[in-house]
Order: sequence, then C-alpha cells, then structure tokens
Amino acid sequence: MPASVAAAPTNASRQVKSDFVVSIGLMAVVLFFIGSGVLSYANTKALLDGNQQVAHTHEVLAGVSDLLSLVKDAETGQRGYVLTGDAKYLAPYENAVARIGESIGDVERLTADNPDHQARMGELRSNIAAKLAELKETVELRRDKGFEAAETVVLSDRGKGYMDALRGVVEDMKREEGAIRQQRIEEMQASYRSTVVSGGITCLLGVLLSALVAYLVRRASFARARQDWLQSGQVGLSMTMAGDLRLEQLGENILKFLTKYTDAHAGAFFVRDGSDYRRIAAFGLPDNSGTPERFTLGNGLLGAAAKDARTIVINDVPEGYLAAGSGLGKGTPRHLIISPAASEGLVNGILELGYIHPLDGYVTELLENISETISIAIRSANYRANLQDFLEETQRQAEELQAQSEELRVSNEELEEQSRALKDSQGRLEQQQAELEQTNSQLEEQTQQLEIQRDDLAGAKALVDFKAKELEQASRYKSDFLANMSHELRTPLNSSLILAKLLADNPDRNLTAEQVKYALTIQAAGNDLLALINDILDLSKIEAGHMEIRPETVPLSRLVGDLTRMFEPIAQQKGLKFENNIGAGCPGTIDTDRQRLEQVLKNLLSNAFKFTEQGGVTFAISKRADGRIALSVADTGIGVSKEQQKAIFDAFRQADGTISRKYGGTGLGLSISREFARLLGGAIELESEPGKGSTFTLVLPETYDENAVAKPVFNLAPELPADALEPAAPVKPRSGKIKWVEDDRERLTASSHTMLVVEDDEGFARILYDLAHELNFQCIISNTAEEALALAKQYLPSAVVLDVGLPDNSGLSVLDRLKRNPRTRHIPVHVVSGGDYAQKALSLGAIGYMLKPVKREELVDVLKKLESRLDKHLRRVLIVEDDAVQRDSVGKLLGTANVQAVGVGTAAECLERLKTETFDCMVLDLSLPDASGYSLLETLSREDAYSFPPVIVYTGRELSSEEEHRLRRYSKSIIIKGAKSPERLLDEVTLFLHQVVSDLPDAQQRMLEQARNRDAVLEGRRILVVEDDVSNVYALTNILEPEGAVVHIARNGREALTALAAMKEKGEPIDLVLMDVMMPEMDGLTATREIRRMPELKKLPVIMLTAKAMKDDQERCLDAGANDYMAKPLDVEKLLSLVRVWMPR
Amino acid sequence: MDKTEDIEIRLLLEAIFREYHYDFRGYSMASLKRRLSQARAHFSCTTFSQLQDRVLHDPATLPQMLAFLTVQVSEVFRDPSYFKAFREKVVPHLRTYPSLKVWIAGCSAGEELYSFAIMFREEGLESRTQFYATDINPDALKKAEAGVYGLDRIRLFTENHQKSGGKSSLSDYYTAAYGAASFDKSLRQRTVFSDHSLVTDSVFAEVQVISCRNVLIYFDRNLQDRAIGLFRDSLSRQGFLGLGSKESLRFSTHADSFADFARDEKIYQKRSGV
Repeated sequence: MPASVAAAPTNASRQVKSDFVVSIGLMAVVLFFIGSGVLSYANTKALLDGNQQVAHTHEVLAGVSDLLSLVKDAETGQRGYVLTGDAKYLAPYENAVARIGESIGDVERLTADNPDHQARMGELRSNIAAKLAELKETVELRRDKGFEAAETVVLSDRGKGYMDALRGVVEDMKREEGAIRQQRIEEMQASYRSTVVSGGITCLLGVLLSALVAYLVRRASFARARQDWLQSGQVGLSMTMAGDLRLEQLGENILKFLTKYTDAHAGAFFVRDGSDYRRIAAFGLPDNSGTPERFTLGNGLLGAAAKDARTIVINDVPEGYLAAGSGLGKGTPRHLIISPAASEGLVNGILELGYIHPLDGYVTELLENISETISIAIRSANYRANLQDFLEETQRQAEELQAQSEELRVSNEELEEQSRALKDSQGRLEQQQAELEQTNSQLEEQTQQLEIQRDDLAGAKALVDFKAKELEQASRYKSDFLANMSHELRTPLNSSLILAKLLADNPDRNLTAEQVKYALTIQAAGNDLLALINDILDLSKIEAGHMEIRPETVPLSRLVGDLTRMFEPIAQQKGLKFENNIGAGCPGTIDTDRQRLEQVLKNLLSNAFKFTEQGGVTFAISKRADGRIALSVADTGIGVSKEQQKAIFDAFRQADGTISRKYGGTGLGLSISREFARLLGGAIELESEPGKGSTFTLVLPETYDENAVAKPVFNLAPELPADALEPAAPVKPRSGKIKWVEDDRERLTASSHTMLVVEDDEGFARILYDLAHELNFQCIISNTAEEALALAKQYLPSAVVLDVGLPDNSGLSVLDRLKRNPRTRHIPVHVVSGGDYAQKALSLGAIGYMLKPVKREELVDVLKKLESRLDKHLRRVLIVEDDAVQRDSVGKLLGTANVQAVGVGTAAECLERLKTETFDCMVLDLSLPDASGYSLLETLSREDAYSFPPVIVYTGRELSSEEEHRLRRYSKSIIIKGAKSPERLLDEVTLFLHQVVSDLPDAQQRMLEQARNRDAVLEGRRILVVEDDVSNVYALTNILEPEGAVVHIARNGREALTALAAMKEKGEPIDLVLMDVMMPEMDGLTATREIRRMPELKKLPVIMLTAKAMKDDQERCLDAGANDYMAKPLDVEKLLSLVRVWMPR
Repeated sequence: MDKTEDIEIRLLLEAIFREYHYDFRGYSMASLKRRLSQARAHFSCTTFSQLQDRVLHDPATLPQMLAFLTVQVSEVFRDPSYFKAFREKVVPHLRTYPSLKVWIAGCSAGEELYSFAIMFREEGLESRTQFYATDINPDALKKAEAGVYGLDRIRLFTENHQKSGGKSSLSDYYTAAYGAASFDKSLRQRTVFSDHSLVTDSVFAEVQVISCRNVLIYFDRNLQDRAIGLFRDSLSRQGFLGLGSKESLRFSTHADSFADFARDEKIYQKRSGV
C-alpha cells in the first residue's frame, strides 16, 4: 500500500520553463544551421580558388611550352634554309620570330604573380634573344656567304648551347608549375574531404537537434493539454457551483461533476460541521455501504487528510481493506484519493473518490487546484444558509411584532370598551333589580308548567307501555304465522321429496342417466329447503317461546359415542382426523335436554368438518372451575376473523357472503345453536383466528335450572352493523414484490413504448410479452391488481392490457382506479377477459374489450391500434368566432408548432368540421350569426354524429348566473373578454392541451356505453343537489347523471325548498337531497330543519356535504335532521354508495 | 417554572381541543402565552391548570376564552395600499371571470369583508361575486354579520377608503345613529358567514380570491403550511391570495405554487398547472 504525498510547483512557472527550453532548443538549431552554412561556403570557395589556380598553372605551362615550340619552329626554319638555301624554308622561322615577342609577353603576364618565374624570365628572355640572334646570324650568313659560313656557325654549337639553356629554364618553370599544381590539387583534396565530413556532421547534428526539438515541442504540447484539462475542469466545476445553491445541492453537483470528469466510480463528499465532518453527498455508494455519515478530525484516513490538509492517494487498495476506516465502504474501487478542500488554512470539505483504474497525477493536481475554490464555495453556501436562517428568523420576529401590535390594539380597544362599560353598568344594575322581580313571577309560572308537563309524561309512559305490549303480541303473531307456514310448506315438500326419490331410484329402468341426475338434484334441493324450513321453524319457535325443554340424565360417554359414530365416516371421507376425549374430573352424566344438546353439538361438528380441509377436528369435554361443563369442538379450518365473530351468530349471516356459495348451508345453524344453548342455561363461546382454525365451546350447567335461563337476545332481522357497508379489506396480493415472470422492468429504455400486461395466466402473459416485443413495445407483467396499480404509477406505461379475473381484486377495480388517478388516467387500457364485462369495462374508460379465447391476429390488431394512438402528437384547436379579425388573432395567439388552430365563423361550419374531424379543444364565442353558442353546445352534446371536444367559452358579454350554469354543463372554463383575457385564454388552452384528457376515448362513445350500464337503483330517480359552488355542481352532476339519475339543482337552501315544493306539485317529487352546508341566503342546516318541519318531507333522505372535519360538526348535521353526511373532498365511490343506500326503493 | 407553564399551556390547549374542538395547538407559543396570561388574570386564576379546570367544567367560559385566544382587531380598508394594489392590478384579471368567489379567511368583526364588498361594488364586480366570510369565533361572526361599528372609528375608515382609491364616499354605505354606524345590509347580501377553521377544516369551494391578513402570524410554521396548502387547494388556477403586510409565503413549503403578483402588498397569484 504505497502512499505518496504529491507536491508540485505551480503550473504557470512550469509552463514558462517548458516554453523557455523549447525556445533555447530552437535557437540552438538555428545557430547550428548558420554555422554549418558558413563552413560549407568557405569550403566551396576554397575549392573554386584551387580550381582557378590549377587552370592558371595550366595556362603558364601552355604559355611556356608554346614559347619553346616557337623557338623550335624558328630553329627548324633556320635549319631548312641553311641546308637548302631555299627561301621557302624560311617561312616557319619568320613566322615564329614574329610571334615570339608576343608569346614572351604572355608568359611574363601569366607569371607576374610568381617572383621565382619573374626572376627566371630575364634568363629566358636573354636565352631566347641569344638564340634568335644566332639563328638570324646563320640565316644571313647562308644568304650572304653560303652554306659553309653558316655551317661553321652552326657547328660552333653556340645555338645548341642557347637552346639547352632555354630548355633548362623552361624545364625549371614547368617543374615549378607542376609542383605548384600538385600542391593546389592536394589543397583541393583536403578542402573536399573537409566538406564531406562537415556535411556528414551537419546532417547528423541536424537530425539530433530536430529530434530534440520535436521532443521538446511534444512535451510542451502535453503540458498544454494537461493544462487545458485542468483548466476546463476548473471552469466546469465553477459552472456547476454557480448560483445560490444549498450545501447539499452544491455537494451533489461537485461530486457529480468530479466523478464524471475524472471517471471515478464512487465518491463521497464531506463538509465541516463544527469540529466534525458530515457527509452531504455520495455517488455510486449503495445504501448499506457502511460509509460513515460523520467522522472526526484525525480519525481514520479521512480525519488525517482533514487534519493535515493534505491529499492522500492510495493505490491498489487490497480487498477487505475498506472496512478499516475509509469512507467508501464495501465498494470495489481499488484506488482512492482523499482530497481536502481548504482555504485560509481551514479545511472546509473532504472529497473522497474511488477508481477502478489506477490514478494519474492529473486528478491529484486537479483536486489540489480546485481545493480552494470548493472550500470557498462551501463557505459561501454556509453563509447563504446562515443568511437564509437569519432571514427566516427576521420574518418570525416581524410576525411576532405584528402579533404583539395586534394584541396591543385589542387591549387598547378593550380598555376603552371597559370604561364605557363601567358607565353603562350603573344603569344596568338598576335595570336588573326590576328584571329580578319579573323573573320571580316567571319562576312561579314555570313551576306550574312543570307540573303540567309531569302529568303529560305519566300519560305518555302509559301509552308507551301499551305499545310495547302490542309489539310483543305482534311478534308472537309473526312467529306463530311462521310456525304454521313452515308446516304448510313441509307437507307439499315432503311429497315432492318422496316422488323425487322414487324417480331417482328408477325402479322401472326407463329413465336416462341424465334424468336420474335431475331427480337427484330435485331431491337434494328439496332436502336443503327442508333443512331451511326446519331451522326457520326452530328459530320462530324459540322466539315465540314455544320451545320446550325436557331435561333428562345424559351419560357423557354415550353422547360422545353417538357423535363419534355419526361423524367418523365424514372424517374418513374428507381425510381428516377426528379425536375426542372426556377430561378428568368430569361427571359421568349431566342433566339437560338431550335432543337439543345433540342438535347443538351436531351443528358445531358439521360446521367444523365443513370448514376444515386438512388437519382434524377434536371434540373435548371438560369441567370448568365454576362447576360448569364445557363441550368444545376445535377444528383446524379457515377460522373466523375478529370482526366477523359476532356476525356469524346472527341469523342468515356467515363469516363471508361468499362462503355459502362454496360450503352451502343456510347460515341459521349457529343462531339456533346459540339460542338452544341459552335455553339450556348455557352459552356458546368462540375462539378463532383466520387461517388457523376455530374452537366453539358449549358451556352448560351440570344440572338444568329453568330460572337460570337468560332472556332472548336475537331477532330475525338483525340490525346491520355500521360497518356493513364497508367493503371487505382487500386480500394482500399473493406475490408481493416477488416478480412473477421475467419481464423488462429492469431494463426499460425511453426509446420505445412500454406496455403493462396484467394477467395471472402465465401462458397468456408470456404470449402477450412476446407479441409486445414483436411490435416493439417493452413489456412489464403483473399478476395481481395491487402490484399492477403500483407498477402503473411507478412506470407510467404507454398502454395497459388488463385481465379481469385476478387473484386479489377484480381487474375492473384496477381499471377504475387507473382512471380515477389523474396521473394514470390517460393511459389507454385494453381489457381481456374470460367473462363478458364489456359494457362495464367500456363504461369505466377501457378503450377496447376482448373475450377469451383471443386469436393472435386480434391481439396484434389491438396492439397496433394502441401504438397508433400513442403516435398522435399534433394538437388541434377549433376556434369558433364570427369576427374575422378576432378569429385570426386568437388563432395566432394559440397556434404553435405543436398546436394547429383552425378558425370557423359560423355554427354550421363548426358542426361541419366536428362531423368530419376531431379536435383536442374548442374555443367558442357565444354570439354567432346563425345560431347561439348555447344551441350549438346542446346540439353537440345531443347528437352522436359530432365529436365533442372540451370547450372554452370566450365571450364579450357578461353572463347571468343562470347562463353560467347552463354553460357549465358543457364547458369547464368561461372567459369574459377584457384587458387580461388573452393571457387567461392562452393559459387555459395550454392546460387543456397538455391535460391528457384528450387522450381519453371519445366522450361520445363513453356516454353511450355508460347509458347502457346505468345503475338500476338510480335510474330515473330525481336527486336535488343543493350546492352553490358551480364546479361542485358540475362534478356531482357528472357523477350522478351517468348512473341514470335526474339531477335538479338549487343554489341555496331557499331555492331548495322552492324546488322541493314545485317538483311535488308537478307530480315528480324529489327522491333524495344532497345538501351543502355553507351556502348563501339559507345554509344547509337551516334548510334541512325546514324540510323536516314539513310532515310530507319527514322521510325525504337528506345527505349533507360538509367541509368541516370535527365529529360534532357532523353531529350537527344529523341533529338538523340529515340522514347522513359526507366530508369534502368528495369520494365518488363513497358518494354513490351513500346515495344508493339512502335512495328509497 | 417556565417549563411547567409550557406544560400547563399545552394541556390547556389539548383540553380545549378535546372538549370543544377548537384547535389552538399549532398556534405560535409566544403570542399564546401572553394572551393566556391575560385570560388567567381575567378569570382570577393563579395557574393555567386552574384555568383549564374552569374551561373544562364551565362551558360558559369558552366564548370569553375564545375572545382572548383569537385576536379580533381590524379596520375597514386597513393598509389602504393593499386595496389600492388590488383595485389596480387584480381587478382587471377578475373582470374576465363570469362569476367570482371571494373568501375572507379570518374575517374577525367583518371590517375586511365590508372593505371588499365596497370595493367590488365600486368596480362593478359585486353582482357576479359570492363572498365567504369565515372565522372560528362565533361572536366575531355575529359582529361581522351585524356590521355595526363605533362611530369614533368611522373617521379612520373614511380616510383609509379615500387612500385606497375609493371612487365614492364611504358615507354612502353606512347609516350613523346612537353613536354607532351600521353598514348597509345590501353589502352582505352576497355573503355567506360561516364558522370555518383553517386548522382542522378543509376546502369548501373553489374561489378566485382569498384575503387572509394577519391571521398566519399567530400560527406556527406547520400550521401556516397547512393553511397555505388549504388556500392553494381552494384557489382556482391563477387565483389570488392576499396576506398581511408582515406575512410571507417565502418560507412556506407551498411557496412554489404561488408567484409574486404585487410584492410589496403581499398579493400572490397561484401558478397555473399547480
């Protein structure tokens, strides 16, 4: 674990230095090339000079040779002439003599630079002159004196001597020139060599220097790139820190930027918080990483970095090291850097970054460079936070001051009031005296009245007693009637049972197997009916007091034996264990009515077997501490929930309404058993836990005592408990968070649409999944209603395919809740089901319905339809306005790239458009040349031929409240033209277009569907909505009218009373009233009281809608005479169920 | 000692809430303490616990307690600049609505309500407006409904009205007699007076304007947030909320739902799309 502390000179100086080295290098290269240029110039010049001199030497040699040959020519001519005497031989001689002077001049000029030659020139000249003189002499002698004279001269060898001397001189000169030439050539050779060598060296050095410079330039550009990286890092960081950020946001931004910029894989950011450091941001850390939230100075590596304000780099962090105190917990980063952010010697923050790849020096340097910036930013953020706190404190103080000044004002007013009051009190005291006297006499009067009232009360009590007796008798008559009735029923039933049995036995073998089955069914049904009649009879007997108890001695062992015999076969048939035991200390016999006892125990046991699928049933008898005998039947069946434990003893009730369907039975058994137990002087106790089983215990006295029997507690029509209207708590989804089949939820991308499939049949879900992929949808699958809703809210899929039959809750409830939630209601839902719920589904807002089994082509079709729906982007607004200028300007106001505004001037045009096209929104002026806006709206709502988009009324005139009410039925938004109206119009239209409402299926279609699916309870019933808030009226109308109710509206209590009377007169009385509490003119409480005061309206159901939350507010509603109340905001389902409950049948 | 008093006060408030459903538990402590100390002196109790005993066992003390606990003080056209700004900036927007609802929350003895009614009549909006005046103190509501004020206060009211840009004379709207001035009945014809608590109750109507001045100053931060949330839910899109001069939405969690409309006068507009 090598740790190093990085320290570096500042960048600027390093940069300057590197630039300097590059410049020096470049200069050296330039100097070098100048030097080598000069050298080669010198060499070349030397060669050139040498060359010239060699040429010169040649010229000298040629000149000398020339001269010699001229002398020879002269001699040749002389010899010929001397020998022959013929003058024609004299031509070469004369020619040579003529040219010799010139030739000597040439040689002399050529050798002017050589003093040696110059010296020899005299000898040469004299020799030539002497030779020429000898030649001339011989020629003249031959011509004048003949051959012999000349011969003598020639033979004297004088001429030869001159000639030899001349040759010697020329030879000397030639030799010298040769020597000179040799020397020059050697010089040239040297010069050439040096040129080659210097060229080679230059080349080599040039290459070396260029390489050096290239290296330097490269190094400099690397330095610059690094510099750029550092700088753009700093700039980027400054930008992320810009603005008034809170500390947490700042930390988040810094960390996000740095991890991205330096490719870190994890990071944490701590700031100073007093003497500790607190983590304010983390990146790439799991929640359970164990990264410390705080650390103290000097504690761990983080603490060390903070204490010494130094950067710590840790490379190759070994596995498992991180537990030793670093902030990066259990992550995999192998390289860490911990960098303090310090300014003015204070470490304000600590950054810890983790990398999978090794670190380069860049990051360290960057972090050191930005240390101060970050520190200052932290400090500023802290200052800002402090400032914010102070501001808030100031605000609090201002409020407090204001409160105090308000209070002072009150005290002041009170003081004034009091002084006035004191003055008044004097007078009042006198007045009181008089009042007291008057009160006295009133008191006497009241005493008399009280006496009268007491007498009245006594009379009333007698009346009540009489009524009670009447009631008792009536109940007895009823029970008698039931008893007789049961008997009358049994007689014909018996014969049909016997006949059915005969048929079923098929003694003549003339019935088909099917027919025999029918007969058996008739027999079974008849038996059920008989059992029910028996039960009812028993109950009515008990209630009428006809049930007689005949006590006898019952041996317990025999009782157990009988029951065992009876139930053992059932136990075997169902594969259940059946045990029984008689506890120690039990008496051998008990004294009670054996028939009833057995009836109770049989009922309990048969229930136990009925509701138990596995495990067993135990029948036990024990003696209780109080001496009573407990006979208990314990099972391991479905059990009964706490809430239901009381209810199951009620007549016609079972733990769950659905149970009778599964298990059969009338639900009377337990009621009868309880009554029998009571008649036997005992009771039935129940202990049970849902899913674990139940224990029913019949507790009886050892000896029956008639006087100990309790009064009856039941009644054939038990009052519904208050919570009976509440739906049963939904079953928890069985799969919970466990994903059911593989789907795309973990790899969703934004690139294509997502589809949610809610389907509990795995095979079908898989088919839909594949199909979705084929059509380029991503697919999420859920098999329960609860999970589906959660997923829909979480992922907001583009479309939902929904099965109706789900394990936990109906798919229709999913549909309903999706459509109820503003965030999900735009999502198109297609319902697939095994049963026909088409109308219901469509009325709840499904866009389509398919009955299983579904063909593949149908599915493809549906998904394609969904897809095309999703691709609709352009929004269209229809502007209906008769004034062309205004139409145009509104069109311009609203039209954008995504919004197409279409203008029409008349109602007819508008209808024409709406017949053929669809619009997302319509802006309507009420005054049109060919029809009023109202009639246009009414036409649109009435006739199916037209699409009916949401309407914004945009009108120039003020509206009466009646007009507004009429309009509100069709239009959610009404704008009166004025100075500020364009802003509002734009705002409202924008909202409409962005509301996903327009994605809902055609309103027209929905209304049609709803019309077919009205609630029979509300169909045609008249409901009076008394409410002053237009939007609430609209909402209530929209809830109630689709259910078939006829809604009448009153805007305050007084109007309500008038409307009630008027409707009554018309022969169309109101069936139910929904009454708001807070209303102008007459509030809801007063109006309700008024209604109750009228005898014919005493029974009219009134439901109050109140914004008040307190229980006693609601009690006030009931006191005023309301049948029920509902707190706002209104819950549609609850409201509908309340209305259904109270609606008279 | 202070700690004990704090406990006593909290118990007293709890008692009032449980027994009478008036919830002062979220009111700001400093102010409550002062006012309850006055009440303690008034009822000649030595401790708040005694006061609690009294309130619990003698329901007749409740109205008096309420008078101490709720500070009922205002003026007609109080802070004239507020009404001036309302008249000049807000009213043009209100003209685009076919019908209007105005909620005076914490209407006290009705001064604010009459100010708005007079202003709306002057601006020609009254006929399409429904006013709601609510308070938790039934006595104050009764006073508001009566609309009778001491004659000595009328001079101040008149000055305020003039400064607020009044287009008529205030004397057109009241009748003075017997040392008191009674405001014209027709001013409250379009008003629903109702008992409504910002602490416990919920939205009752969709309104375009809410004026709730010098009420939030008595609430602690949580309660202020609840009340402002209630206002937000009650206001229609782009509806207006007016607060007292020392009150601010700035620190509320619902601050984002509103935009400054007339900053100095503490008039806010609900943002559309909220």
